Amino acid sequence: MTPTEDTELRRRVDDLLGAVQPPDVRLDRIIRRGQGIRLRRAGAAAVGAGVAAIIAVTTLGLHASRSPTTAPSGPVTRGGFIASGTADGHAWKLAVQDIADPGYRCLPAITINGTDADPVYPDPENVSVVTLGPAFRGVGFGFIQLPANSSGITVNGRLHVPAVTAAACGYRYHVTGFAYSLEQAVRVTVDHPPPGWPTDFPISQPLPSGVTPQSDGLWINTYAVHGETASGLLASGYLSGQEWSMQVMLGPGGDCYAFNGNGYQMGSCGPVGMPDGAETIMALPLGFPEADIGATGYAVPVSPGTAHLEAVFSNGSSELATPRVVDGRKYVAFIVPDPLQLARLTWLDAAGRVIASTTALPQYGYVQFQP
Amino acid sequence: MTEPRDELAAAPDIIGSDNGEEFSAFALSRWPGLVRLAFGLTGDRWTAEDIAQTALARAYVAWRRVSRADDPDAYLRRILVNASNRRFRKRRVTEQLGDLPEVAVEGPADLVGERAALLAALRQLPPRQRAVVVLRYWNDLTDAQIAAALGCSAGTVRSQLSRALATLRANPVFGEGEKP
Repeated sequence: MTPTEDTELRRRVDDLLGAVQPPDVRLDRIIRRGQGIRLRRAGAAAVGAGVAAIIAVTTLGLHASRSPTTAPSGPVTRGGFIASGTADGHAWKLAVQDIADPGYRCLPAITINGTDADPVYPDPENVSVVTLGPAFRGVGFGFIQLPANSSGITVNGRLHVPAVTAAACGYRYHVTGFAYSLEQAVRVTVDHPPPGWPTDFPISQPLPSGVTPQSDGLWINTYAVHGETASGLLASGYLSGQEWSMQVMLGPGGDCYAFNGNGYQMGSCGPVGMPDGAETIMALPLGFPEADIGATGYAVPVSPGTAHLEAVFSNGSSELATPRVVDGRKYVAFIVPDPLQLARLTWLDAAGRVIASTTALPQYGYVQFQP
Repeated sequence: MTEPRDELAAAPDIIGSDNGEEFSAFALSRWPGLVRLAFGLTGDRWTAEDIAQTALARAYVAWRRVSRADDPDAYLRRILVNASNRRFRKRRVTEQLGDLPEVAVEGPADLVGERAALLAALRQLPPRQRAVVVLRYWNDLTDAQIAAALGCSAGTVRSQLSRALATLRANPVFGEGEKP
């Protein structure tokens, strides 16, 4: 880099970031977040690692100690029901459900029409919104977890939505859900907010569906969400002498994958499906400059009945990948070295029978596929 | 080369003991610099504010350690970068497809285009390369300081910066005579 280039880039960066006018600092919110971190750490330390369910209960108890943050003890809705309605001519329903595969520890998440799950925690202040694409063009959906004494919310000063208490996996969630038009900003006003709570929540708008299919089905958590449900290694190996690995982190951002190789990383999040719902096929291209090679990492959360996933490449070769279970959910991951491309994916059961197959595969980002 | 200008380090040094008042003063003085740095890392105004809050919340939790650190601002930068990386992994898709924030396009028309172009160019960089560029050209940090913020070696910083600059040079938004 020449001194002139160096100076020019410095000037441009200085101009860009210098133009940012930060809002007033919210010390109360910062300290409240910090106190929340302390409480969760105290809960985890008291119980010990490896007993996740007990940790969660303890943490819930600690949340309760700084009331009012727990769900009320009144009646709960049937089947985790939160809210329903009709939008764009289609019925919708929000509910909290277990999204773990059968036989594994219960994993609560809020779903829209039984799909596109957003893992939830006993954590008021969690606000999340999602768009679902062509099925609900121009419509967004949202939910908010509320403090125990709040009777509901008002959306954009017009629509009052009562809070309900929904239960799943032994937890109660005081929550409300709603649908809204993507053509306008959304402001949620909370009934009877306790001290320290904001009276209203301006919500970051998901991008209009159809224009940005990559964001469809991906819940956007617009405020602090505490807790990451699980993370785990899906696959690892060597490519031209360069070590690589793929991880999944299931949390408030969805199923977030990371493809790591020799100090480089490519990451992305995709929608979380129910065990037998649509599966997200994620593609993460990554370069390995030291080896002058690239590869695309693929990750797929698969249905409980899937024993193997067969990947067929553009040169006709194939690989049989075996699922790994992370927090009660099955995932398959593998890489495709350049210049090969993934040509077909086939889902196989334990007897080797074909469950499903597709050639609609992404080169980057994700597509959803219903086996 | 201009004088090093690290907005975080340049803030008044008010830390030293473990009490809420001093943390508050620390947070107030570092907040603008944190938000700007976070905006450089994420390219998104709301996310920048959120991770700046997260970084300060974590500093609050570790205040005894932060306030006794040789370089509390380095500690804070590390927290911020980690928070940004976590956020990046969770939101990468949305971030890539997001609109340019209003804040980046305020000002005279020629600056609007220039800022938007730089923001778009930075967004094309992988997160670590983007962080290296911002920490070098906004915070004026040395290779060693950047390495400390990113949790990598100084050699990795140099290679990441080299790749980032090569990418930026190839970007058409940097016209002849203005290439970085």
